[in-house]
Amino acid sequence: MNMKKMTAMLCLGAIVAIAGQSVFAAEKQAAPKAEAADKAAAKSPESSGDNAAAEAAIAAAESARKKAASVDGEWRDTGKMIKKAQAALKAGDSAKAIKLAKKAEKQGKLGYEQAQAQQTLKMPSYLKY
Amino acid sequence: MKNLPGKLLLLSVVAAIAATAQAASEQPTPERDKEVFENRFKERFPDVAREEFANGVYAIDPIGRESWEAIEEFPPYELFIDDGKEMWDAPFANGKTYKDCFADGPGIAHKYPHWDKEQGMVMTLPLALNQCRESQGEKPLKYKKGSINNILSYIAMESRGEVTNVVIPEDDPRALDAYEKGKKFYYTRRGQLNFACAACHVQNPGMKIRSDMLSPALGQTTHFPVYRSKWGTIGTLHRRFTGCNKQVRAKPFKAQGEEYRNLEYFLTYMSNGLTLNGPGARK
Repeated sequence: MNMKKMTAMLCLGAIVAIAGQSVFAAEKQAAPKAEAADKAAAKSPESSGDNAAAEAAIAAAESARKKAASVDGEWRDTGKMIKKAQAALKAGDSAKAIKLAKKAEKQGKLGYEQAQAQQTLKMPSYLKY
Repeated sequence: MKNLPGKLLLLSVVAAIAATAQAASEQPTPERDKEVFENRFKERFPDVAREEFANGVYAIDPIGRESWEAIEEFPPYELFIDDGKEMWDAPFANGKTYKDCFADGPGIAHKYPHWDKEQGMVMTLPLALNQCRESQGEKPLKYKKGSINNILSYIAMESRGEVTNVVIPEDDPRALDAYEKGKKFYYTRRGQLNFACAACHVQNPGMKIRSDMLSPALGQTTHFPVYRSKWGTIGTLHRRFTGCNKQVRAKPFKAQGEEYRNLEYFLTYMSNGLTLNGPGARK
């Protein structure tokens, strides 16, 4: 290999190295930008709308649970579902939070209705008075 | 004819009084409730002697009874009785003992639950024990698990052979009200599975839920506290109530709260006349 070829190869290597470094540097710079973009997306009107919907769903579930409890009609798992919904919302999974809260709200409503239907004692027919 | 409106009014009043009196006479009394309750079990298990119901499900489950009898040869609750005796004899920090609260103890289980007129509430044995402790400056014990079961086991053992005799005093209408509340609790459907206590233990005793036979309600209170293999230890009646409520997916009530004390009052009254045989052993 003559000197000219060697010099050309060294120059090419240097160019590639410099280019690679600048790509890496660009990627490094882009990473915080992507994180910021994610955060921005989380704060986007659509996402904060989901959070608000989840918060509303949890509040409705809690209200239904309390109403059922006021007539001794609360079911075993309703409170647990609400806690899980709160945890899901905290973890950023508003869809899961909404799903759990809606289920809990339904339980609260059914528990209340059940207790209301049982307000008056009706002795079962298998007991022969 | 002049007095016709007056006569009609008088007739209406008389008819209303008669209707009210009839309605009152049709209102089932605790005695009538008990008679109907017992008849249900007599009809369902005609070959089982009444006294046998004190043995719970083993009165109607011959296969389960064999293993129960084998377990009773080396009772798993014996150590708890020994520990309970130590608790009974040990002086509190002030030098007094349980005996200072319960002069006729330790065999006092048959005196509970009873209506406490002064406090206006159903008094159960665990509650009375804790009231005793607190009056002597001691901390109350927990109502479901732990050392309360030791002393309850000792008292139950010393009370064996006594007869269940819950009284609903007629001179205090609040006692009947507590009984009625307990009865209402027992027949009320609750939880996601929409079951009442009675749905399992009055309507369907002898039927199976998975591999377990449902026990008859008659006699269910005679053997507490109970060592349950499922728990791997001994537990109180209110712990069992809690478990039942959870099984039908209802939120349980507080142990020794008003709901469960009234329930105990009703349920124990239904077993009046049956011999106490606690502590017991069950699956």
